Amino acid sequence: MKHDIGCLQAIEALYAYLDGELDDPDSIAEFEQHVDHCRSCFSRIEMERALKQRIQKTARHATPEELRDRVAKLMKKL
Amino acid sequence: MTDIDTKTFFGAGVEQHLDALFSVALRLTRTRTDAEDLVAEAVAKAWASIDTLNDQARFRPWMFRIMHNTFVSDYRKRSIRPIEASFNDGENDDDDLASLLNEQSDDFLVWWSNPEREFFNTLLGEQLLEALDNLPEAFRTVVILVNVEGFTYDETADVLGIAPGTVRSRMKRGRTLLQKALWEQRPGLHEGTDHET
Repeated sequence: MKHDIGCLQAIEALYAYLDGELDDPDSIAEFEQHVDHCRSCFSRIEMERALKQRIQKTARHATPEELRDRVAKLMKKL
Repeated sequence: MTDIDTKTFFGAGVEQHLDALFSVALRLTRTRTDAEDLVAEAVAKAWASIDTLNDQARFRPWMFRIMHNTFVSDYRKRSIRPIEASFNDGENDDDDLASLLNEQSDDFLVWWSNPEREFFNTLLGEQLLEALDNLPEAFRTVVILVNVEGFTYDETADVLGIAPGTVRSRMKRGRTLLQKALWEQRPGLHEGTDHET
């Protein structure tokens, strides 16, 4: 078992982990090991993950038909 | 590549990313009409500068960079909206960030985990968009590119012409400001204490 990184280091790494920017396998393992047994950090990452998913779902929009038609006409002129 | 191949490639790329372009444009301009104009203008500009796309695998960041540049130049030229007052870029404010997190995030966590979360979920769409749209542009843009469209920090840096470290710090601060805004506009905050016992 690796040493525990502690809450401060876990919080520091949290966003990089959530955004897929924590690419060192050892860092990922240390982070996940801490979160596995730290209730506070587990709750925090669950909240951050849920908020991120909620933002993704809310801020994604289908292209309006008017714009789709406009771009299609533009492409024909190219 | 022949002209026809180039045109086919370009058309397919635009089609593939059209929803994402519109979604980002909508958050940048904050109005549907302006967003549609921005996307159309960016597509035309991108085709006009197709020779600058050196690597076809980089079509997405290239296309978004052109759209963002179009937004910035058009925004400044037309001055549709006032530029936000100077903001702290977040690059040298780890202490300030830690302070914000310490003061507000635990409360936010409790609120988020509230048994009435389902009630909050029904309201959260509008709240989230309002909170996002009220973020200073520099933070709003990185949050949308990374959080909504899944750009990496390096790709986002490429799109915006900034350092990856700046993307990282703006993401942190943008998220913190977003949570702070949601916390401050949470349901019931301004309803007094009539329901408390």
